[in-house]
Amino acid sequence: MSDALAQREARSRRARSLLARRERRFAYALLAPAVLAVGGLIAWPMYLIVSISFREGRSLNFLALDRRPLGLGNYRSVLGDPATWHSVLVSVVYTLGTLVPALVIGLATALLLNRAFPLRRWLRSLMLLPWAVPGVMVSIVFLWMFDASFGVVNHLLRVLGLAQTDIAWYSTESTALFAVIVPTIWKAYPFFTLTLLAAMQSIPGHLYEAAEVDGATAPQRFANVTWPGIRGPAVLAVVLNGLWTFREFDIIFAATGGGPAKATETLGIRAYNEAFGYFYMGRAAVIGVLMLLMALLAVLLARRALRREFFA
Amino acid sequence: MRTERPRLAFTAIAAAVCVVLLFPLYWMVLTAILPTSATLSREPTLLPVWSALDWSAFAAVFARKPLGTWLLNSLLVSLGATLISLVIAALAGYSLSRFRTPAQQWTGYTLLLTKMLPGSLVVIPFFIMASTFHLIDSLFALMVANAAVGVPFATWLLKGFFDGIPRELEQAAMLDGCGHLGAFLRIVVPLARPGLAACAIYLAILSWSDFVFARTLINDQSHWTITTGLVSFIGEHGIDWPALMAAGVISLAPMVVLFVLLEPFLVSGMTAGAQR
Repeated sequence: MSDALAQREARSRRARSLLARRERRFAYALLAPAVLAVGGLIAWPMYLIVSISFREGRSLNFLALDRRPLGLGNYRSVLGDPATWHSVLVSVVYTLGTLVPALVIGLATALLLNRAFPLRRWLRSLMLLPWAVPGVMVSIVFLWMFDASFGVVNHLLRVLGLAQTDIAWYSTESTALFAVIVPTIWKAYPFFTLTLLAAMQSIPGHLYEAAEVDGATAPQRFANVTWPGIRGPAVLAVVLNGLWTFREFDIIFAATGGGPAKATETLGIRAYNEAFGYFYMGRAAVIGVLMLLMALLAVLLARRALRREFFA
Repeated sequence: MRTERPRLAFTAIAAAVCVVLLFPLYWMVLTAILPTSATLSREPTLLPVWSALDWSAFAAVFARKPLGTWLLNSLLVSLGATLISLVIAALAGYSLSRFRTPAQQWTGYTLLLTKMLPGSLVVIPFFIMASTFHLIDSLFALMVANAAVGVPFATWLLKGFFDGIPRELEQAAMLDGCGHLGAFLRIVVPLARPGLAACAIYLAILSWSDFVFARTLINDQSHWTITTGLVSFIGEHGIDWPALMAAGVISLAPMVVLFVLLEPFLVSGMTAGAQR
């Protein structure tokens, strides 16, 4: 009697484990194309970057790179070059200079769009629009607006009496970095608007009602209801947008190519110029490894907040 | 009625904000449609002069540059890349949402890690790989490159979206004799349409905007995409601004239409993602 029961139980356990195994196989099968895509087209290239970074010398024949001698020469020459550290500084200034204003604009627009008002849907679309503009196009429009002789920015400055002479924004060392940061802010803020707005809309309305009943002022409502509700997504958005800005290429490359006199040469631009301008693939790869390490450091610093957001 | 006026005040504020924030796009359009004498001037007109509209910049740019070819190339690459990565990301996002495989967390970190890779860096190995397989100047290689870059973020976006769809629905379908894949295709995919739409916009914008791959993997001018084409104006001696802005308007138009029409999906997709 109990024997039969045990047998039946064993059978059902086996059936269950068979089912579980089939489930698992199904789960992996669905994941396989993504793993292949990420592995073949992102992880393998990363491996190539690291391996190239140890190949010494310079070669016009990229396919012969793996026949060059191994060594730390690239690391020595890149890390010993003051231009590298200048690029690190430019990258950091560029990233922070973009992130802070973009976050402020994004938060302000999200708070505005979180209200109910007529035509909100269309105005929201318009406010998010810069996000859809290709970086190269953003760069070109600002290049025209900041044009020295016919640019509208200089015209407005003249009208307002703020500038007497024409400022050549992109070809002056002291203004070029500012002139590439402005378009980057313009392209970056909608991501903040979008993610913060999404987070705000998932805050239950009754929390606001309760706060209002308690007589909370608008700043108090923001500090005690809105901010706790959007903090997690905000941290995630800052990290993602920060990573994107840190590696931004299109806007700077189209506007200045890193000049004048390296004033806008971020690490990303420098890596590209080393690789496709001077054909020092090894040096470019070292800069790439450096960028990866810096990005990794940023992610590690935000690790706790990220884990909550990503793996909840 | 009492609440109507403050609400309209918000509309006015939002409209004013839009005017300021969208000035660059306005300026681009204005430069494209006003005669050169009005734009290339020390005192440019800030408001459109309706009587002086001049569409010649549009004709000029099509006559001088193979803009149509570039647009077509961009369209092909964007469509292909969006489709490829949407399918891959939908399958992977569903898998990550429904199954707690040991590989899940690991995959999650890998996907995040790939977000940190600069395009200007990935392009070096891509260039080497494309050279090895003689795929330089191939639009297909460009498509694959763009597809690969989109997969990680799209997967996460869709995972968040699938998390919001109750499992009971598929389980019911499976009890009715549907296979798991069938349940996914017939029940989950139709419900996830807003999420898929959001994801598709994201992917389309990503590949339409691509510059670094197009510039590096494509040499032949007839295979250029619109972004490489636009940048080629900059290097020229004495940039023809009205023509360049006209080309910009044309290249931006499809994205703007797509974006404004589908943007609600993006917001709802992101909201679903935020709620997971």
